[in-house]
Amino acid sequence: MSNVNNIPIGEDCIELSLPVNPAYVSAARLTASSIANRMGFNIEDIEDIKAAVSEACTYLIKRNLHLGPKMFQIQFNLTTSTLEINLTSQKSEGINNIYDDDSLGIMMIEALMDKIFVADDDVIKISMVKNLP
Amino acid sequence: MDFAINSSFNDTKKHWDISIEGEIDIYNSNDFKKELSELIQSNPTDVYVNCEKLEYIDSTGLGALVSILKKVKQYNGDIHLFNLKSNVAKLFKITDLNKVFIIEGEPHE
Repeated sequence: MSNVNNIPIGEDCIELSLPVNPAYVSAARLTASSIANRMGFNIEDIEDIKAAVSEACTYLIKRNLHLGPKMFQIQFNLTTSTLEINLTSQKSEGINNIYDDDSLGIMMIEALMDKIFVADDDVIKISMVKNLP
Repeated sequence: MDFAINSSFNDTKKHWDISIEGEIDIYNSNDFKKELSELIQSNPTDVYVNCEKLEYIDSTGLGALVSILKKVKQYNGDIHLFNLKSNVAKLFKITDLNKVFIIEGEPHE
């Protein structure tokens, strides 16, 4: 029987599709935590990644709750030196400016991650990167 | 994981002693705000919050705390936070809310 233990992780892509429902933000945090842990991030960085993923989910959910798409996507792209996380959702029609100001959440992601890019067009996309130490 | 608030009124020092457990995010921050709001309405005094078992709080939870602080300030009270975990303390620091709340003691793991 071949050894199935300790197979190294490679340049993998992990995708998660979640309902637009605040109840599942904790599932996104747990997934992010598990992946970051496997990649070898230290505890402080894992906490940063969890919080950033949570804020990004909140950003998307606030724009779509009860109004538009029922699902949003999170993609984790792993490399030997970085974890790139992309969150995307279709934008609901005619819902501009119905949400509270959430600049605090974006400001937190900027402080916690090494790179962040936000596109709020037809598709809402948040891309963020954390470098391995 | 959800959150829980344990509260008792300290008759000697005339303030609220509160401890928060668990995680606060967009799922439960409204409930969190409502519970704290009811507490300070029933007895408007200073609030001392033990955060030893607070695992995580997001921007909506921080917003709820700021909203409660505004109400507490209206009767010249304050909110004191202590025993913060290091990851939670960091979130207060990067948002500059460590300058808004009275944070006591050193963060812990």
